[in-house]
Amino acid sequence: MPGDSDDEMKINAERPINIDSYRKLVRSHIDLHLYTSALFWADKVVSLSDGEPEDVFWLAQCMFLLKQYHRAAHLIQSKGLEKTHLVCRYLAAKCLLEAKEYTGALNLLTCDDNNLSTNVSGINSVLELSDSPIEGFPLSNVHSAVLFLKGCVYEALDNRSLASECYKQALRSDVYCYDAFQALVQHQMLTSWEEKELLTSLPLSSQCKTKDEEWLVKSVYESLLKKYQSVPPRSIVNVHPRLQGNLDLEVAKAERHYYACSYAECFATTTEVIEKDPYHTTCLPIHIACMVEMKKGNALFYLAHDLVDLRPDLAVSWFAVGCYYYLKGKTDPARRYLGKATSIDRLFGPAWLTYGHSFAIENEHDQAMAAYFKASQLMKGCHLPLLYIGLECGLTNNIKLAEKFFLQASSIAPTDPFVIHEKGVVAYQNNDYATALKYFEDALDKVKEINEVVIADKWEPLFNNLGHTCRKLGKLSKSLEYHREALVLSPLNPSTLASIGFVYTLAGNFAEAVEYFHKALGQRRDDTFSTTMLTNAMEALVSDSPPYEGAELTSDCPPVARLRPITPNQSQTSTADQSALTMTLPEKGTTPPRSHYGDMDMTDSFQDENNS
Amino acid sequence: MDEDLKLNLREVKISLQKAIHDCSTRGLMHSTKWLSELNFALKHIKVDALPPHELAVSDDEVDDYYLAKSYFDLKEYDRCAFYAGKTSSPCNKFLHFYARYLSMERKKIDNLTELFSGPEPKTSGELQQLCKELRELHVKRSMDPYSMYLFGVVLKRLDLLDEARSVLAEAVALEPLHWGAWLELSMLVTDRAKARLLSLPNHWMKQFFLGRSYLDQQMNDKALEIYYDLQNAGFNGSTYLLAQIAIAHHNKREVSEAIASFHHLRKIDPFRLDNIDVLSNLLYVKEMKTELTYLAQEACEIDKYRVETCCVIGNYYSLRSDHQKAVIYFQRALRLNPQYLSAWTLMGHEYMEMKNTNAAIQSYRQAIEVNRRDYRAWYGLGQTYEILKMPYYCLYYYKQAQQLRPNDSRMLVALGETYEKLEKNQEALKCFYKARSVGDVEGSAILKLAKLFDRLLDVEQAATAFTEYVNENDSAEAENKSELSQAYKYLANFHLNKNELDLAYNYAQKSLNFEETKEEGKALLKTISQKRGLVEDVKQDMVVEDSDAND
Repeated sequence: MPGDSDDEMKINAERPINIDSYRKLVRSHIDLHLYTSALFWADKVVSLSDGEPEDVFWLAQCMFLLKQYHRAAHLIQSKGLEKTHLVCRYLAAKCLLEAKEYTGALNLLTCDDNNLSTNVSGINSVLELSDSPIEGFPLSNVHSAVLFLKGCVYEALDNRSLASECYKQALRSDVYCYDAFQALVQHQMLTSWEEKELLTSLPLSSQCKTKDEEWLVKSVYESLLKKYQSVPPRSIVNVHPRLQGNLDLEVAKAERHYYACSYAECFATTTEVIEKDPYHTTCLPIHIACMVEMKKGNALFYLAHDLVDLRPDLAVSWFAVGCYYYLKGKTDPARRYLGKATSIDRLFGPAWLTYGHSFAIENEHDQAMAAYFKASQLMKGCHLPLLYIGLECGLTNNIKLAEKFFLQASSIAPTDPFVIHEKGVVAYQNNDYATALKYFEDALDKVKEINEVVIADKWEPLFNNLGHTCRKLGKLSKSLEYHREALVLSPLNPSTLASIGFVYTLAGNFAEAVEYFHKALGQRRDDTFSTTMLTNAMEALVSDSPPYEGAELTSDCPPVARLRPITPNQSQTSTADQSALTMTLPEKGTTPPRSHYGDMDMTDSFQDENNS
Repeated sequence: MDEDLKLNLREVKISLQKAIHDCSTRGLMHSTKWLSELNFALKHIKVDALPPHELAVSDDEVDDYYLAKSYFDLKEYDRCAFYAGKTSSPCNKFLHFYARYLSMERKKIDNLTELFSGPEPKTSGELQQLCKELRELHVKRSMDPYSMYLFGVVLKRLDLLDEARSVLAEAVALEPLHWGAWLELSMLVTDRAKARLLSLPNHWMKQFFLGRSYLDQQMNDKALEIYYDLQNAGFNGSTYLLAQIAIAHHNKREVSEAIASFHHLRKIDPFRLDNIDVLSNLLYVKEMKTELTYLAQEACEIDKYRVETCCVIGNYYSLRSDHQKAVIYFQRALRLNPQYLSAWTLMGHEYMEMKNTNAAIQSYRQAIEVNRRDYRAWYGLGQTYEILKMPYYCLYYYKQAQQLRPNDSRMLVALGETYEKLEKNQEALKCFYKARSVGDVEGSAILKLAKLFDRLLDVEQAATAFTEYVNENDSAEAENKSELSQAYKYLANFHLNKNELDLAYNYAQKSLNFEETKEEGKALLKTISQKRGLVEDVKQDMVVEDSDAND
């Protein structure tokens, strides 16, 4: 018996042992997230198999999973595997990236030739090196992963143009590489035109097995692409009917609603998504933006608390907190938490924009602009930062500069009605009313395209500005029409009411003018413009109209009357009054279009929340 | 309406009962009440076998309906909206929207910290959202008449009056028996031109609408005509008609008739509080203190927290010159219902009495916001601005009031006075003439006219006017003694100058009756007798006499 046991215990180094079973053990431990056990046995496997590359790879993998990045990288590099195995090279680079050793990672990925040029051969040089494949990793996937990783490294090094080039390559070599797609879309790296180009250039037909599959991939991607430009909310891209309720697609739908300013619908959709998946990462920023837009302070408060408790490591959690304070008008804490969000994720565009807004509502134009500039660097493909910079320039009376930024914005988003509207405002401020009118009408056409049935309330300033411009051009009846439409969108708006009164005054209809100034003052009691105009109009009205209703019928008077007609003297005073009114015109002209700013600011505040 | 109104009362009753059912299932309490009152007036008409009322909700949604309606009845509006909003039948949808609207209204009242606060941004945002949803339905043409009515109400709230008018007209065309829609419409039809633009269904309900809107437009005779026709057509038992007729009399300033009608009404329906504040106004005007006290006590016993009751009590305190307390009661009325017109106006009057012009202006403005046709508020505004010495504003407001009551001399006199202040004498003259020609209620127009002529040195005219004035006021107990005495003095002087000594003597005698002009009268009489002596002395030489007289 003891002999037997001795036999058993004595390890015969020569006898082959079943390493494969240990390998399987390692895999299953990894699958069960028992990384320490996996590491331990993987280490033993490496010793048993005497440094078989595949086993070393798995050992490194375990180290990576245990967040021992330096150790993993060192292991691979010390065995020189990164030179022979692409997957190992990939892992080593990934480890270095996680360890924030960007140059090391880049060196690994770009290989020895150090050729950073973006041409295809340059990028592929890594891929063309001798490669002994490791089982279980299809080549195309590895290639695409390597390219994606390279993109990540470039992005971490702030070299965004190279990064986007890498992402594109990654997506092309594997159309299913959503990481690359997301990196491109979410960080707004591409303009809508470039996005479209990318989508058409994808080698779908060669990589997808069937036509159906090809269509599926294409439609899913399409529905996730730029929701901002000229996509009416109701004509969403057709997708596979089974995918209809898919949350990602629902989020895309919500985002479209958001851009079309139909916040109620957007909120309904996002609420549904959040109910099904409370921490849907792409949905949260839109959901939060919507809450800000709809002023749901309490709900946002709860959500923000929840997020911060559960995921204090996510930028979006702190973004929610910042938004809550922004909504409550407490800019200091808002900035503090938004700053925290941006320090967690430097690429989190919405936080930068909100950071800018928090300055903008306090009229801190320079600081607001700085924040917007930062945002514009991060989101090359998004016109909103530029739009906001332009707005701030306009507010600091730098119309020339503002115009330049609006032009840049419109080169990115030529069909965005907000941009066209702002261009119109600049033209208006330059006293070029004909051009302004053209822009405003153009914007209106675009808005009507987006909002099919009922135009969103947000567009009230556009109608008012159309009204102001028409008034400047002397088209009084047209002007009235536009102001009326503005009133439908935003009833009882005092500045609209005052504008209508003003138009009536110019048209000489003092009775109506007085009526509207009264209404305006009823809504905003201490409005100096309305008060002065009301006094003027009243005086004009009194000298204009008969002393009492029906006084024209002079026959009413008893025969004793020897009344002379109204002396010419009096009618002269009435015209004098009128000219006095026209004198006040230019002063007035500049004020109302300004009012668009406050509204616009709020409008767009979170236009692109989803850029997280 | 010229042809005789003939109604098939049986059919009317059947349709009324159907409408009562429809309105009450939708929680439209006021319309239900009105229709039921009317139905009660037709009690003597026998209708056999009423058709079974079916619910306007499909079978699978009836459970949601019952739940939502029960919450609605308990005024848990948000809850009702939540449950009713889940389904799609028109009745449930209406209940959903209506509950949301009422919830907003109630919150607005609950959150009201100050009566004069401006519009609240939050609720107005919600109202806009509601309006947007309703508009979408309307554009899609999938809207039942009741929701359409609500859409009209919301539009009216948002001051989009033209749209509101056309929507409400559409609603009454589809469902002519819904009185609430007619009522809202009547408040929007501010003049006849607007009424003519609407295409209204030719239904007997239209008569009620017309009567109401004529009454609101101060076309009282026309309204009365319609109401009498309706009474003759079979609705003679309707308390609503009785009240409306009483109000018409009130508007025509036929105070005793109005009071009589109200007393009649109270005998039939002793616990009715509707319109009772109009009665209190009448009693106030007549200064019937005991009656008013009795009424106030009575109303207080029936329901302390009704707007009408509060107004009656307010009037009672006002009559006792306890303006502070009156204001408190009007304020209470307005807290109960910020849309209650007459409380705003009456509160304005109280503030005027207390010389608080600012608050008075605010109150009157609110009154006008509630109903632009309230001439008392316009007139009150004119008065406050007169105190503030802003004649142009003053003129404008008086003009508005005068437009609403073209045949009321008080506004015309007020207008004339203001023109006088602005030295626009021609206009002032015109106004006084007009006031005179429409029946000078207070008798002041002719006096003003006389004085104005006097100031314009148009002696002849002034004298004619003064003569007319004294002729009218001779018999009266002369409330305004100083004015009358001055008039006599003026006339005596005038006739003296013209050497019409008898007349001059006559007037001078009269002026002796007043303290103020006693001495001057005596002096005049002396001059007259001197002149008489002269006349007798120098009868022959007319020329001399004439020149003396002109001295």
